[in-house]
Amino acid sequence: MQAHPSHPQLTQLLSAYPKSAGAFFQTYNDVTLAQKWSNIEVIDLPECQRGAIKGLRSSLTAGEPPSTCVVVPCSLAESLSTSWIRDAFARLGADAPDAIFVAICAEDSSIVYYKISKGIVKPQI
Amino acid sequence: MSSGNPIPLRVSNKQASVWDIDDIAKLRSHHHICGVLAGTLPHLSQQNVFLGVPLLLMPEEVVLLVEKKLAVLVDDTNAHRDPTPTALSRWDSERLRGVERQLALAEEHDAKEALNPDRAMSEKAIRKRKEREEKRAHGKSTTTDTSQEIPEEDPSLFAPTNHDLPGFDSHPKSSGAPSSHTSGVTAPPQTSTLPYTIQVPGASSTFEWYDHSAHSFATLAAAREAGVWDYPTTPAERARCGVFQDLWEQGYFMGGGIKFGGEYLVYPGDPLRYHSHFVANVIESPEAALRPMEIIAHGRLGTGTKKSHLLCEWDDDKKSVTYYSIEWAGFG
Repeated sequence: MQAHPSHPQLTQLLSAYPKSAGAFFQTYNDVTLAQKWSNIEVIDLPECQRGAIKGLRSSLTAGEPPSTCVVVPCSLAESLSTSWIRDAFARLGADAPDAIFVAICAEDSSIVYYKISKGIVKPQI
Repeated sequence: MSSGNPIPLRVSNKQASVWDIDDIAKLRSHHHICGVLAGTLPHLSQQNVFLGVPLLLMPEEVVLLVEKKLAVLVDDTNAHRDPTPTALSRWDSERLRGVERQLALAEEHDAKEALNPDRAMSEKAIRKRKEREEKRAHGKSTTTDTSQEIPEEDPSLFAPTNHDLPGFDSHPKSSGAPSSHTSGVTAPPQTSTLPYTIQVPGASSTFEWYDHSAHSFATLAAAREAGVWDYPTTPAERARCGVFQDLWEQGYFMGGGIKFGGEYLVYPGDPLRYHSHFVANVIESPEAALRPMEIIAHGRLGTGTKKSHLLCEWDDDKKSVTYYSIEWAGFG
């Protein structure tokens, strides 16, 4: 991990939260290199004991502007709770988006992203 | 919305049911509680897509209705008293009078046919008969045996040609519910050669010896003390009641979620008119364990069926519900 080019930006949060280091590292690289988000920054979520990644994701439909997304990594083996979700939204503060993404990482490097919105939000058609 | 009297919910073995059609309609249209019909329809007994009374309610629906003073619980077993001999003889003579009325009507019909024997052979009758036979040939695979046995030429059968008896539809494909409170069964005649229908009321409230006023409970506590009802008991059950009530207060209709892998289906309006937008799961407390695999399974199933999955967290200390909607992100 230390030899990887992305490591320098992540050192602080990787060492602060060793239990989520694997998922955090995996998600950061996926978001920057595979999903190709731009304007990427890392955010500290102490209540959730991990770092999160914020960036601009280009829209799937042509003509639409890119949207700011926050993704919180976690491992498939972890146990979460709704108060964990609440804490993530709370820490993101007043300008938090209405929805966060959770990146669920498996040990074989598979990642799946799910969108969690606050409140009762109808599905997009 | 008129309130009127609270609706009696008949409780037997901790299961609540509704047997009166008007109450079922009121529950749906005034209180947006749908329930599930669980009874066999006498005219369509060999299928279970269309069912009739009784309406069964979820325990959360019962709790909500009683707490909002919209319904009362009736100890159904004890409300059925033993009839007195006079009440029983009154019921029996009423029943015999009903049979006599039917036979009189049938004889009147016979007399009319006898006066006008050529009526069956008139041009109009021949044409109608032909049309009916053609229709029957088309719908042969879906008709039941009894409806095939209604030939126009035999007036002695109880179900004669359409026009004389009100409410009877001789079209073989009719699937409407029978008139409220009755189910028909043809039985062999006793004194005359004409058959008659035995009518069995769907609701016991029509019987003189059914007394629900002495066995009603207007609060859950009273019902619990009498051993008639005890939901909710556990924290999980309290959470379900809390979430159900919160969704109901927002105007949603709820149904069972088994077909979509959740606890409830949440509809924006009557399920007969809308598809549900949400599949809801109850999270017992803010600290209850939530596994990432559940998020994946619920989220992907919801998105795959054009719905969102709702995680409904119940906080038993604050007595409040927090909602999170889960969807597949669509990338990654």
